Amino acid sequence: MRRFHDWLIFMAMQHNPFNIRSIVVLLVCLLVLYFSQINAFASRDTLEKIKNSGVITWGFDAEGGAPYVYHDPAHPSKLIGFEVELVEAIARELGVKVQYFQNAWDSVLLSLLRGDFDIALNGIEITPERTQSVLFTRPYYVYAEQIVVRASDNRINHLEDLHGKKVGVLYNTVAKRMLEEMGDVVVSVYSGQVEPFKDLSLNRIDAVFVDLPIAAYYTLPNPQLRMVGNPVGEGYYGIALRKEDSALAEELNKIIEKLLRTGELKKIYRRWGLWNLSQEKLFLHEGLLQKYTESLPSFSEKAPIAVTRFLPTLLKGTVVTIGISLLSMILAVVLGLILAIMRLYGNAWMQKISEAYVEIYRGTPLLIQLYILYYGLPNVGISLSAFAAAILGLGMNYAAYEAEIYRAGIQAVPRGQTEAALSLGMSGYMTLRRIILPQALHITIPPMTNDFIALFKDSSLVSVIAITELTKSYSMLAAASMDFFKLGIITALLYFGMSYPLSLYARRLEKRLRSYDRNL
Amino acid sequence: MIEICNLFKAYGRQSLFRGLHLTIEKGSVTAMIGPSGSGKSTLLRCMNGLETFQGGCISVDGQKLYGINERAYHKKQKSLAVKNIRRKMGMVFQQFNLFPHMTVLHNITAAPVSVLGIDPSEAESDALSLLRKIHLGEKAQKYPGQLSGGEQQRVAIARALAMRPEAMLFDEPTSSLDPEMVEEVLLVVRGLVLEGMTTVIATHEMGFARDVSTQVVFLEKGEIVEQGSPKEIFFNPKNDRTKAFLSRFMK
Ligand SMILES: Nc1ncnc2c1ncn2[C@@H]1O[C@H](COP(=O)(O)OP(=O)(O)OP(=O)(O)O)[C@@H](O)[C@H]1O
Ligand SMILES: [Mg+2]
Repeated sequence: MRRFHDWLIFMAMQHNPFNIRSIVVLLVCLLVLYFSQINAFASRDTLEKIKNSGVITWGFDAEGGAPYVYHDPAHPSKLIGFEVELVEAIARELGVKVQYFQNAWDSVLLSLLRGDFDIALNGIEITPERTQSVLFTRPYYVYAEQIVVRASDNRINHLEDLHGKKVGVLYNTVAKRMLEEMGDVVVSVYSGQVEPFKDLSLNRIDAVFVDLPIAAYYTLPNPQLRMVGNPVGEGYYGIALRKEDSALAEELNKIIEKLLRTGELKKIYRRWGLWNLSQEKLFLHEGLLQKYTESLPSFSEKAPIAVTRFLPTLLKGTVVTIGISLLSMILAVVLGLILAIMRLYGNAWMQKISEAYVEIYRGTPLLIQLYILYYGLPNVGISLSAFAAAILGLGMNYAAYEAEIYRAGIQAVPRGQTEAALSLGMSGYMTLRRIILPQALHITIPPMTNDFIALFKDSSLVSVIAITELTKSYSMLAAASMDFFKLGIITALLYFGMSYPLSLYARRLEKRLRSYDRNL
Repeated sequence: MIEICNLFKAYGRQSLFRGLHLTIEKGSVTAMIGPSGSGKSTLLRCMNGLETFQGGCISVDGQKLYGINERAYHKKQKSLAVKNIRRKMGMVFQQFNLFPHMTVLHNITAAPVSVLGIDPSEAESDALSLLRKIHLGEKAQKYPGQLSGGEQQRVAIARALAMRPEAMLFDEPTSSLDPEMVEEVLLVVRGLVLEGMTTVIATHEMGFARDVSTQVVFLEKGEIVEQGSPKEIFFNPKNDRTKAFLSRFMK
């Protein structure tokens, strides 16, 4: 079954997605995937499988960070964190070994349902939406949301003080929803947990509002930051299982209870500075949890969620994507042209600079360039806004590719054209502008179109610097609603709606520019 | 009008001209003949500043170009001299080199308007009368790609003439034409000569060179082997190499 899926995905990716036929093929592949997935949900008894194989597979995301599961800075190949210790303790009780399964946090529940691993345990909050699709064990930790501010900032002391402020949160968290319900808080959504604290230190945001373990881990060792107010909005982390694994749930519940009674859990949490009075609630029986779950604000009714409810968010993401893409395209075109001209007509060291620029930008990942621009430059005193960093990052990266395209285009114009123009007394600049560039343009349009369509899609990378564009909006909505399919199709269509008109326009432009060619 | 003194030119380590001298009088017609690779094109391109050279001097009506190794070489001075020389001399290439993205009319008016600052409507009526003179009046709105080779080369001549040059350089203007189109182009050149235009033409058309030129220059391996009136060169060549070349050609 897995093989078949891989093949489908491979087939879907093989196609250039920008003609109608490929789109149809893609949609069919997705549909087949969707329906075959339903059968793929593991139906055998997971507990039995774990016992027979002597291995429990644990899904988590180490990128999520400390103090849950993360790479030990001293021994980067080793994973540490309170959840590592917890899972190891559980496995010991079960008499099995732990197999680690790294999975992006956004899709950890989806992968669980696919059957990639047996349990998902990674600061997953028990929420009504999630209980609709997965089974939770009894809670293993009581978290609360904590406000963190700069140590020098006295304006914020309570949750209410966050009105009108710019606050960093992690996405798909209870904290984010609490702020959104307050209405007028400017919420800045991050996917990694280091970044909001960085931006807080850099004055880019006024506060961070996150789960207490995270707040404590990043604030206590940093004298520039402090936690203010009491933790608010208590909730529970639970181990997520597939719905049918009630036998496994029962077994795990017993183990958690045992770890609580023997004090082992407390020992682990103490070691990580996570034990507090709230954790006593873990001893309470399950009825209380039931009541808590029901009392939570629910933004998903039992009825299937209407797509129209997501559209405004997706459209907002689309607008951001279009804005960022267009502006970075303009930057890429202008800078690319300058680089190409420097390379072709500049003196020796202008040529060297242009060459080095192209090689460096082409030879390093865009993601790292974005990180350096946004989080690295403040170290030398340059602090860009997220939007500016996104446009600069994308624009400067694509400029390298455009420069090569223009260079090839200019070189493709016969030398005789330059000579004829010069012999007529035209200056070098006039020759370039009136004679060479117009002829180079139609050669460069097809590869430029390609690049710009790629840029539309690459713009999703800027979500790493706290910009919520279309892909980010999609993954946030999809993770919250678990509706990866319908939302995925809509999002794909939105991207297609952006890039297809661009293709059409480019094709027409190319035709028009070549109208002088007798062969057309 | 054109004075070439002690010209040295090399491509990399391969030297081509080793101290070449040539004088071209105003109103004269100079035919440059010689085997392929002898340096005819290079000499024309040096005269028009399209090619740099290592030593010597080319002077056009007092505007001087120096070799890049000469002490007198000065960047600003040089670009000014190149500009002035190009204004005085038009050039026509073997490959026509019309601008494919512009109409025939636009090809002709582009430089007069943008370089000389002539009023566009005036440039257009000038261009149209030039086109009529070469019997291409009805092709004004066509693109070069829609014209035959002979027509393209005639337009290229008109384009150079629109800059009102004092001299014209032709680099094998008929060598890439089908035989039936050669004559229509030569006819245009002949017309120019009759009007008294100072002309330098590199050509393999010996009959034409003999009929229209006032001076013939035989080049071989970057060296002027023999030069003189067409009568002297074609009917009474003194040098054996000239004889050999001509006998090969006159067959
Ligand atoms: N850009 C260049 N780089 C190196 N060598 C060159 C270059 N251009 C010309 N040459 C050499 O210079 C010599 C003279 O070339 P040129 O084109 O002036 O000859 P030509 O007399 O015009 O020949 P043809 O009748 O074939 O046009 C040739 O040996 C050629 O190989
Ligand atoms: Mg030649």
